[in-house]
Amino acid sequence: MGRAVSTVIRVGRLAFPVHRPAVLFCLVTTAALVLVSALTLTLGELGIPLAEIPSALSGGAEGTSAFVLERLRGPRLATAIIAGALLGISGALFQTVTGNPLGSPDVIGLGAGAGAGVAVISLVFPLIPSSIGAVLGAGLATVLVYVCTGRGFRSPARTIIAGIAVAALSYAITQYVVSTHLRDAASQLAAYLVGSLNAVNAQDVVVTGIALGVILPAAIAFSRDVSMLEMGDDTASGVGIDPNRTRTIAVILSVFAAGASVAAAGPVSFVALTAPQIARRVIGTSHVSIVPAALTGALVLAVADLAAQQVPFVEGLPVGVLTLGVGGIYLGYLLVREHSKGRL
Amino acid sequence: MTRGASLARAGILFLAAAGLALATLASLFLGGKVTGPGEVLAVLTGAANPYLEAVLDARIDRTLMGVLCGSALAVSGVIIQGITRNPLGDPGLLGVTVGSAAAVVSVSAVTGAGIGGRSVWVAFAGALVTVVIVYAVGARSASGSVVSLLLTGAVVSAVLTAYIQAMILTNPGIFDSFRFWVIGSLSGRDAEVAAAIAPALIAGMLLALLLAPSLNNLALGEDVATSLGTPVALVRAAGILASALLAAAATAAVGPIAFVGLVVPHLTHSIIGADHRWRVPVAAILGAALLVVADIIGRIAARPEEIMVGIVTALVGAPFLLFAVRKGWAAR
Repeated sequence: MGRAVSTVIRVGRLAFPVHRPAVLFCLVTTAALVLVSALTLTLGELGIPLAEIPSALSGGAEGTSAFVLERLRGPRLATAIIAGALLGISGALFQTVTGNPLGSPDVIGLGAGAGAGVAVISLVFPLIPSSIGAVLGAGLATVLVYVCTGRGFRSPARTIIAGIAVAALSYAITQYVVSTHLRDAASQLAAYLVGSLNAVNAQDVVVTGIALGVILPAAIAFSRDVSMLEMGDDTASGVGIDPNRTRTIAVILSVFAAGASVAAAGPVSFVALTAPQIARRVIGTSHVSIVPAALTGALVLAVADLAAQQVPFVEGLPVGVLTLGVGGIYLGYLLVREHSKGRL
Repeated sequence: MTRGASLARAGILFLAAAGLALATLASLFLGGKVTGPGEVLAVLTGAANPYLEAVLDARIDRTLMGVLCGSALAVSGVIIQGITRNPLGDPGLLGVTVGSAAAVVSVSAVTGAGIGGRSVWVAFAGALVTVVIVYAVGARSASGSVVSLLLTGAVVSAVLTAYIQAMILTNPGIFDSFRFWVIGSLSGRDAEVAAAIAPALIAGMLLALLLAPSLNNLALGEDVATSLGTPVALVRAAGILASALLAAAATAAVGPIAFVGLVVPHLTHSIIGADHRWRVPVAAILGAALLVVADIIGRIAARPEEIMVGIVTALVGAPFLLFAVRKGWAAR
């Protein structure tokens, strides 16, 4: 940061150091997000004509356009953006705590655990809201990994293998519940197993929206403490930060963010892994960047869902299949890179 | 080796075989409907009613499947762990079975054929390609550590699972037949399937037995093995071939099942020691018994529902993997 890429914004007595590439990145991502949103709403047979969008958004739509906006694509787009942002935040926090891009919620089995929680709660105890199941499942998965490594999240190797085990366990539980309770509903099946936005509704938007409204400010407020962890525990203690407490809070926030997202969209893989990495790579910073990671997560999920709605061959597939395939390849690339650096 | 130790091992082999016999018998009696010995005898002598006969027929078939595929997966695990010198090698965790499954699903989507043992060679091609990729990427790491191989397997599994899901969900014709198979299930496979996978299974087993002495040398380290006259590269290649053949045979018949190849080799190691010449046969027997028992548990644990055997093995095997991490087998 010594190359004068930072500007300080002063509002009264408050001063915010602003990292200029990060701001630029956020602006570009936001513009891309607007573009993708417009495409999502307008493309295809049921698309709303571009000219009608401003009036439709201000409540002036009628007939088909209103139905498409309010029932079909509106909630779906909003959920994609919000859930993607939550996953981005969850990944950014978790990767910083583990100090390794591979130590992200997907590899730890946190998403799979949340998915199992949703499956168990929504199919076996339908009276309890599924978001509670998601948070419980994600929390349980995290605790299980933490305990089983024998040394917390400090050993990447142990954390990853324990995560693979917890993911397998969660997946088996989901498979069991789904196979005994859902016999013929293929689309629902996919939603529980890999994550899908095909069946989201306005309620999902509200629930995830509230979660984002709480978690995003908390994560931003907390990001300075978390980024101190990257300097090492001693340095962090030196500036008055309790490393263990900071890690715990970051993990809890991460669990809630992933849980809220999975409750609405199912266990969509690899957004939490890729979004913070893309943001970091492009901006060229070593800091935890919550807002860029959130925006990137939103963009990734919105683009993937646009593909799931409009691109031939993958059209109609659950969005989780796309992120699993593409994100898996990215994870493979990361893996090879970590090898060549000898970090694994 | 002393004569006494050899005798003790033969005794263990005998005990394991007795255990398998017990598991097989239990598999015939237990299930959604518990049958008594009298009824089983009546079926065998042809004096039972057709319903009972059908129940027992189905149980004989799935028990046979459990025996064949359990032993194949377990021996595949022993070989993979031997050639990679990685205590956490398992055809399921390394993505080999998923590779088989992806190949089978692709061919079925094109030809419209259902699942059957005939796809075993397609499954073999898929398994071989996957195991070579995972081995090439995972073993690249300078430290040659356990985790890189496992993580590579997880990555390959993830990508292939996405592919399989995409194929199944976009081809309604194959959705029904593959929906349970991709989880791993012993039900609905008859003796014809067993006959079709037999060549791959037998070839794999023979190769495994042949390799056993070389794997003992390899366990001492590459340099020592070379100095003992073991052609390390050849042994590795043959090991890859054997483990792919065995994993493919099992997957073509019953779907991708994980953890049998992880748990059984360790169990075997703890009761009979590190000698591969004994580990291979004992693992074959224990693997068969384990999969049959897992299937029995799946049949009776949630009556009248059935838990597919792939789910049971994961529910048992994943905690075992966690235990292994806790014990520090993953190093560091």
